[in-house]
Amino acid sequence: MGFLMMSCSRKKSKGLILANSLAIEGLHAGYGEVRVLSGISINVRGGETVVLLGTNGNGKSTLIKCIMGQVRPTAGRIVATIDGTSYDLIGRSTEDIVGIGISLVPEGRRLFPKLTVEENLLLGAFREFARARISDSLAFCFDAFPRLKERRRQLAGSMSGGEQQMLAIARALMALPKILLVDEPSVGLAPILVSKTIETIANLKKQLGLTVLMAEQNFRQAIRIADRGYVLVHGQIVLSADNPQALQQNELVRRFYLGVG
Amino acid sequence: MEFSWDLVINAIVTGIVLGGFYAAVAIGVTIAFGMLDIVNIAHPAFMIAGAYLAFLGWEDFGFDPFVSMAVFAPCGYLFGRAFYRAYHYFFERRGDESLQGLAFFFGILFIVEIGVVLVFGVDYRSISEPYLESSVSVGFVSVPWRMLVPFLVGLGMLGSVHLYLSRTFTGRTILAVSQDVEAVRLIGANPIRAKEIAFGIAVATAIIAGVLLIIIQPVEPSITREYIGRAFAICVLGGIASIPGTLVASLILGVAEALTTTFYGPSWSPAVSFGLLLLTLIFRPVGIFGR
Ligand SMILES: Nc1ncnc2c1ncn2[C@@H]1O[C@H](COP(=O)(O)OP(=O)(O)O)[C@@H](O)[C@H]1O
Ligand SMILES: [Mg+2]
Repeated sequence: MGFLMMSCSRKKSKGLILANSLAIEGLHAGYGEVRVLSGISINVRGGETVVLLGTNGNGKSTLIKCIMGQVRPTAGRIVATIDGTSYDLIGRSTEDIVGIGISLVPEGRRLFPKLTVEENLLLGAFREFARARISDSLAFCFDAFPRLKERRRQLAGSMSGGEQQMLAIARALMALPKILLVDEPSVGLAPILVSKTIETIANLKKQLGLTVLMAEQNFRQAIRIADRGYVLVHGQIVLSADNPQALQQNELVRRFYLGVG
Repeated sequence: MEFSWDLVINAIVTGIVLGGFYAAVAIGVTIAFGMLDIVNIAHPAFMIAGAYLAFLGWEDFGFDPFVSMAVFAPCGYLFGRAFYRAYHYFFERRGDESLQGLAFFFGILFIVEIGVVLVFGVDYRSISEPYLESSVSVGFVSVPWRMLVPFLVGLGMLGSVHLYLSRTFTGRTILAVSQDVEAVRLIGANPIRAKEIAFGIAVATAIIAGVLLIIIQPVEPSITREYIGRAFAICVLGGIASIPGTLVASLILGVAEALTTTFYGPSWSPAVSFGLLLLTLIFRPVGIFGR
């Protein structure tokens, strides 16, 4: 499985990993009159993979968009700590937030379909901090995803769903983020690719010392790589689990989301 | 006109040289219309502004046309950036750009044309420099410098824009911005700033194209009309957002016009661009280099 193998050259020290975290408190948000999130409080500690679980339409993407500055919350706080410095994210533009060191692999991938694979990747390194290291980052991504190297001159829009998801992840990594947000990476992929993609994320996270928040509706796959998790229903956190076992063994999750018991 | 191979070769050479100039005219439309989704039909107005600025510079200050380009193109760039900001604020931001934006650009075209009439009158204006009056001859083909200069400047301009767009971070953002604005934000770039810079470049190229125009021929205010059709035909034939496509399409149009002029007379040449546009839309709607 070539694309899971990657170099360890950019492994971060433990100290830095612990410095990158995300804290959300009492968040309310919606679209015009429609209220979507009511009083969300979650946190992601340095070096963790936290999963945000919920079926369609429960507000996962809205929460992610609030973090990225794409949706403006009506109340609450979002504070990111990067390399020991705290940033209040509310009111900042998406560009600023990316500049701080938070990247998103968005729902639906949002590639530039008429640009080549390589052009998409190079664009990922737009942020000032990433520009100086662009050739190392490109080599790293091609190493992690040999498929992308083979297809570097191909238009992004002409690739398969699985390849596009790899490219979306790689493009986000080109920004050299400290915190990586991933919104529903499994959507539209065949089951075999879903588990591969989830494993890739876990692997990259380990290699790069990232802090990860991943939204998913595929509970079974997401729980495999989770350190902790939250379940979101109708814009509220109904379950906060401190370890994957607690998610797996929860009565509600078993009955409604895993289809057992 | 009687057919002869000398005439054909002469027409092809003239057409290629003319095509280089058309590329200079069309590159700004390729940027604005192709890459920014801005239907800037006022592009030829910026062009005649450039032509008359070159005339003013030449008449009042003795500016060589190259001096005019160096002085007025940066002004055009800054003006273009400010102009885009106004356009964005009043139209694009509110989602009104399709119809009201079009009316806005049409208005600008009108105002510039009338402004030129009021200031300069409707007479033809021209400039001349001794070196522009000489020619380069190879065998029986002879090309005057007043055609060669626009050709070379046009090619240089296309090459520079192409390098800028493909090699710089802002350039690549400009290529991406019409495909997904939100995704541009997610890579940490400001899409509005990218569009502003791109529009500035588009206006600067129009100013330069105007200087080239008055090198080639005397200008009068209504000359804008011929160039709207040409520029958009080239843009569509080339593949809307492609710089190599713009070059190839410009050369094709130049040669087609030169052949038509040679064998059927100059009155047919404006029809050539519409003919090419129709053929493109029928046989290859995405254009030569369309992605
Ligand atoms: N742009 C929008 N405008 C209005 N309502 C929206 C918009 N985006 C999402 N919603 C609504 O917000 C709710 C939550 O959506 P979303 O955050 O996308 O959920 P999820 O990502 O969990 O599927 C849904 O009811 C959806 O219809
Ligand atoms: Mg979603």
